[in-house]
Amino acid sequence: MTFHSQIGRRHFSALALGAAAALLPGAIRPAVAATPDEIKKRGRIQIGILTDYPPFGGIDENQKPAGYDVDVANLLAKAIGAELNLVPVTGPNRIPFLLTNKVDMLVATFGITEERSKQVLFSNPYSAFTTYILAPKSIAISTPDDLKGVRVGVARASTQDSALSAIAPRETRIMRFDDDATTTQSIISGQVQAIGASSTVFAQLSENYANLQIERKFTLKAQANGMAFRKQDEALRDWSNDFIKTISENGELGKIHQRWFKTAMDPLPPMPQF
Amino acid sequence: MRSLGSGEILFILAAVRWTLLLSVVAFIGGTLGGIVIALMRSGHIKALRWVAAGYIKLFQGTPLLMQLFLAFFVPGIFGFDVDPWGAAALGLSLHASAFLGEIWRGSIQVVPVGQWESSAALGLRYWNQMRHIVVPQAFRIAIPPTVGFLVQLIKATSLASIIGFVELTRAAQVINNATFQPFTIFGLVGLTYFIICWPLSAYSKRMEQKLALAAR
Repeated sequence: MTFHSQIGRRHFSALALGAAAALLPGAIRPAVAATPDEIKKRGRIQIGILTDYPPFGGIDENQKPAGYDVDVANLLAKAIGAELNLVPVTGPNRIPFLLTNKVDMLVATFGITEERSKQVLFSNPYSAFTTYILAPKSIAISTPDDLKGVRVGVARASTQDSALSAIAPRETRIMRFDDDATTTQSIISGQVQAIGASSTVFAQLSENYANLQIERKFTLKAQANGMAFRKQDEALRDWSNDFIKTISENGELGKIHQRWFKTAMDPLPPMPQF
Repeated sequence: MRSLGSGEILFILAAVRWTLLLSVVAFIGGTLGGIVIALMRSGHIKALRWVAAGYIKLFQGTPLLMQLFLAFFVPGIFGFDVDPWGAAALGLSLHASAFLGEIWRGSIQVVPVGQWESSAALGLRYWNQMRHIVVPQAFRIAIPPTVGFLVQLIKATSLASIIGFVELTRAAQVINNATFQPFTIFGLVGLTYFIICWPLSAYSKRMEQKLALAAR
């Protein structure tokens, strides 16, 4: 894939998503409400998860979905009493999948933001991570102002993208890539001097590319992730809030965290208020 | 972090079957649609010519990515459940119909008008003129551009990844996000597309030379 076609493709998909976003709120048919009772009766729940964002949502050695989100989704399906049907979604197409009834809900490391809560209903946070500006030791960056004239890579449509866009001075050249892997590659190959990414990416960079001497420069955003529902599915949202409360109190969520991140879980952040 | 092992490579290579199957289905769908479009576009009925021209303009003038996206998400709004496979097959078939229709319209119109007139003088009607006189000549002219478009179509299947269809390119992206080995992975993927497309291009080239020879 040439650089040129990558830009073209990204441009088009942004266009397509924009068109869909414009189209969806005026959707003709009110979606069938997914309630816990209705799901129980149907015996099957469709949950959208990421497969390209390990360790939250990735694939295992048998190429089946696996990760923090998948474990949470499994627990949830068991608690509601329905067979779990995992539907792989991607960062940019999560909302269309939800709003066109292709899934009942999302457990897809979906950061709770004001913009997004205009379109979907969020549960209380069930996972969290922090994103940082990462750059080699040799570059002096400690505040957003230091990003003047610096090329910074981020995964497009991510929360680090919007956080960076909000604080970066005009002279910053923000380069948006398809996902974290390509963003990471851009700093390894020197196309950008800094990237906005999570502590997971930071751990990978320090482990595999110690010679780059990447360090955390400053915090971009503490992100709280919620499950997401269609606007009218308040019953399912309330049920899921109780579910999150139960599994965080009885330690099951902590076990999942331990399994995927090898560290004890910090207390979940409070629900962001807008 | 995962390492790039044989399981991962196999996952990527196994996804080739979806790329191939999608290409074949889209090509068959595009052939059926393309024949209809080409006949409408080269025929005598003005209204049909306009409809076909509009269809071609619409599909040639909008990005394939957008067409696939709409084919997948719009039916969902109206309550029809289309899976990624069905939407990708439908979107690519409609896309291929427009391009193949235009290629074949050109091939039909290249056949000299004298062929139509002399076959009419022999008492043949439209369908028989088409079948026995025009299509056999147009067919040979159409082969190189048709194969050329097929190569484009195979590469275009990679766009189906936007709607969550896991073919060769999407499989590579998923593995890349787990293993962070882009040069190896995308190098392998590029090579795989080349292995599929190159024989087709070579075939098209040979047909072209053959045709040039026959026309001399």
